[in-house]
Amino acid sequence: MIGLLKSMATTMKHALDGNTFTVEYPETTPDVSPRFRGVHKFSQERCIWCRQCENVCPNDTIQIVTDDQRNGEQYNLHIGQCIYCRLCEEVCPVDAIILTQNFEFTGDTKDDLVYNKEQLKAVPWYKDIDPLESREPDRGSWIGEGEGAVDYQ
Amino acid sequence: MSTELERTVPVTEEAELERLVGDRALSTDDHKNAPAFVVRPDAVQDVLFDLRDEAGFDHLSCVTAQQYEDRYETIYHLKKYDDPTQEVSVVVPTSTDEPVSQTAEPVYRSADWGEREAFDLVGIDYEGHPDPRRILLPETWQGHPLDLSYDQDKPQLVTLAEHANPLQEDHRDAETDTMFLNIGPHHPATHGVLHVKTVLDGETVADVEPDIGYLHRCEEQMCEQGTYRHQIMPYPDRWDYTANMPNEWAYARAAEDLADLEVPDYAQVLRTMGCELSRMAGHFLALGTFALDVFGDFTAIFQYAFRDRELAQDILEDLTGQRMMYNYFRLGGVAWDVPEPREEFFEKTRDFLDGLPTKVEEYDDLLTGNEVFQIRCVDTGILEPEIAKQYGCTGPVARGSGIDYDLRRDDPYGYYPELEWDVVTEDGKDNYSRVLVRMQEVEQSAKIVEQCIDLLEEWPEDDREIQSNVPRTLKPDPGTETYKAVENAKGELGIYIRADGTDTPGRFKIRSPCFHNLSTLAEMSQGEYVPDLVASLGSLDVILGEVDR
Amino acid sequence: MTGPVPLQSDGETYLLPERIADLTGLGEFGIAGESIAALLGAALVGTLMLTMTAVAGPWAKRKITAAFTDRIAVNRIGPFGLFIIVADAVRLISKELIVPENADRPAYDLAPIVVAGSAMLGFAVIPMGSGIQLADPEVGVVYLFAVSGIASIGLVMAGYASANKYSLMGGLRAVAQNVAYEIPLVVTGMSVVIFAGTLQLSEIVAVQAEPLIELGGVALPSWYAFVNPFAFGLFIAANLAEVGRNPFDTPEAPTEIVAGYQTEYSSVYFVLIYLGEFLHIFLGGAIIATLFLGGPAGPGPAALGIVWYIVKIWAVFLLTQWFRSALPRVRIDQLIEIGWKGMLVLSFANLVLTAILVGAIA
Repeated sequence: MIGLLKSMATTMKHALDGNTFTVEYPETTPDVSPRFRGVHKFSQERCIWCRQCENVCPNDTIQIVTDDQRNGEQYNLHIGQCIYCRLCEEVCPVDAIILTQNFEFTGDTKDDLVYNKEQLKAVPWYKDIDPLESREPDRGSWIGEGEGAVDYQ
Repeated sequence: MSTELERTVPVTEEAELERLVGDRALSTDDHKNAPAFVVRPDAVQDVLFDLRDEAGFDHLSCVTAQQYEDRYETIYHLKKYDDPTQEVSVVVPTSTDEPVSQTAEPVYRSADWGEREAFDLVGIDYEGHPDPRRILLPETWQGHPLDLSYDQDKPQLVTLAEHANPLQEDHRDAETDTMFLNIGPHHPATHGVLHVKTVLDGETVADVEPDIGYLHRCEEQMCEQGTYRHQIMPYPDRWDYTANMPNEWAYARAAEDLADLEVPDYAQVLRTMGCELSRMAGHFLALGTFALDVFGDFTAIFQYAFRDRELAQDILEDLTGQRMMYNYFRLGGVAWDVPEPREEFFEKTRDFLDGLPTKVEEYDDLLTGNEVFQIRCVDTGILEPEIAKQYGCTGPVARGSGIDYDLRRDDPYGYYPELEWDVVTEDGKDNYSRVLVRMQEVEQSAKIVEQCIDLLEEWPEDDREIQSNVPRTLKPDPGTETYKAVENAKGELGIYIRADGTDTPGRFKIRSPCFHNLSTLAEMSQGEYVPDLVASLGSLDVILGEVDR
Repeated sequence: MTGPVPLQSDGETYLLPERIADLTGLGEFGIAGESIAALLGAALVGTLMLTMTAVAGPWAKRKITAAFTDRIAVNRIGPFGLFIIVADAVRLISKELIVPENADRPAYDLAPIVVAGSAMLGFAVIPMGSGIQLADPEVGVVYLFAVSGIASIGLVMAGYASANKYSLMGGLRAVAQNVAYEIPLVVTGMSVVIFAGTLQLSEIVAVQAEPLIELGGVALPSWYAFVNPFAFGLFIAANLAEVGRNPFDTPEAPTEIVAGYQTEYSSVYFVLIYLGEFLHIFLGGAIIATLFLGGPAGPGPAALGIVWYIVKIWAVFLLTQWFRSALPRVRIDQLIEIGWKGMLVLSFANLVLTAILVGAIA
């Protein structure tokens, strides 16, 4: 019986203290970590069309189309298929593709979530956080001096 | 932590094992983790009985099946509950034309599901198996997906008409008084897509058969198609999707063993801290959902557990950039150091840990001290330790039955051996003990995290190496095989990798703890009431993502 | 002090239909007029109770649960999110009504009406204060327990007619539970009858108005909750089981048998069953208030009776929600065991002791 009363006291304490741990979402947005991985943003000015991101992507989310002179024509990214592993950002030698903190995006169909490069360029910064300023992408694992062949080319 | 391991079994040096197996061994093989004996398909039970009874290998950790160009192969990875560092593998080759091998089920019950999976995915027949059916794929599936001759591109539609009609047994049977009831795949208590075929006698459970595979996502095959270096690591997070990070360690440990990679100490501390935070998050969820099963509604305890899980997730988000699918580990290290400013991160983590004792007290008040909760959980879902061992149970489920088995201590890895913590066991063998084990493990994890924070804080600045020098492309020597396991939140998560000389694994096998824990459900719930079945299922804490892979 | 219900000069209770008849002049039309007045009165009480249920179901329950679980809950539509009631009503009623193929049709359709209707019947005899009482039969207590027991027929109809195994189990559980707990409930109620010496509800309320003891100038009324707290506790527990709330909500038991007897109900039928459940909680609250908490009695003028009555039944509602937040559900066999081996014995012991006590005083 004492256990029951203790249980009831515990919940009543929570009811009376008035604290809530949920927030009113669109008005109060959650703080996201500077390292948070959201929708990608693409910079055509920086991109050198090296295709490393396309190669490293574990589930073929990125599709790059180039002409026969290896000039970039299309950069498509299926945001609905992405698993947000951040390997594309890590591998990119020129920071042309980065994952913003933005997690708010919708689409009526799966096709709506296939972003072309114009859409990727237009992805807004979340709360004006520029991930490149707030975090320093870890390149250590890519620029190692190991004896392994440098591939991804 | 005690490093003294009790060795009650006879010393089993490799030579002794060789003598024991004798000329039944066609040859020996050297897996990186253990000696392996190649055995004829008709001598499987013979050898396994000897290894179990004479040499004390009482834990069939995993059954791996694979196909080579010229043969099929089944590997039984054996361990000891008393000392999991003692391992031996039994390799059973069978011909391509007629892949028939003797079943190991009479020796180890856990081979039941293991061999069913091997049959399902690879296509080896096990002679004498009591229940030779598919387990993950639908009954009507054509071919065996990991078979080399399997056509991956051929679409297979399993129409509703071809499924076994779940209503078939619905009709009245004059002979029996029982009722067949489908619990799941869409049922509030299955926490996912698990289908439990139940036969009820009134409210009493007469028979239970879990039907799994609804969440089968070809994880093993996906890993076989990814490169060792980077492409596999994002996926372990998706196996046990409530306590994700320890899964990454399972792959990291196996791959690092395979390719002989070193991990800097600093990275080991970070790994240990991350995994323990993640384990806490997983245990909070397990606690909350178990309470949900017993209380019956989304009531207070569930929300409080989620609130605390949220705090752990916040810290992990700061560390790894993601709330669940961390992709934090890299072979030979981790992706990030502690975020700057470091003090802020340490303070946040310490705040979380300092707040924990009051919260644990609250859980005690709400759950374990509650008399109604006690009458619901004590002495229900009894799992005897011998049965648990037979089924290959590990993790909190085994420890709730009094089996003192924790790979973090018994097969040490990472920074665990240097830290002060205890393995929690309870002797109740019932649902209540399993809850108690999880609650105490949260406290132990907190202890570990605290020590890691202290270590990280004092670590000399010039020695903060998070990543060792690892070649960009890993191509382990062809034929190298290893099986390595870590303790994730649910138990022993093992990975078997065979390298085939390319930069992707030739065979990637996941030994899922939930898979084995779930197979005990029938033992636990037969003869009990439906509510106990639901509670037992909750206390097993199965994550279907890991069961079905 | 007279009872909270104003008495006519001849000592009979001045009931709501008569009052309406007098006020509107309908009484001059004989039987027909009185019937219309009675219907008007019933409509008034029914509206009151349904309004309370509407507030409780979609809004108050969410808010209360949210408070216990540190959340915010409905707050978007209207002040304090109150308009969610309208939104929910529209949402629920506009849903498709799905009837299972093998459902036993008349029973399947009737069950929700029986569940909701039986609860409404009970309110007819409750003295709600401020002169609101529809009827005051001499056997009020018996009537009350009888109609509230009808609900279990509705539940078993719903469970059986749905042609669903989960529903069937829920229906069977509901019957087993109601049978096991109806007896302690009635027996405990009888101890109050022994104290009051009458079965008439208005009399029971009137008797409770007498002061029990004086404490520093404040008179503690002889509410039976104060006179016999033990019976009060028993009655609350039995009532929880009777209305199927935690920790005794086994007939629904969402994690075990999906939703029990209401698994196959959707749209309007679901609304009716849901409504019936809440009405039963309120009826349980009304019974507790009438038998143990002095009915509509409270400080202030007698006209405030209805306010006190509402406060009391909401307090009982709050209590059920509080139990729900903190207590696990007992297993069905444990529930039956508690009912037959514990509650029944205790309630009879209480009855016998009360009888001896009352006899000794007399």
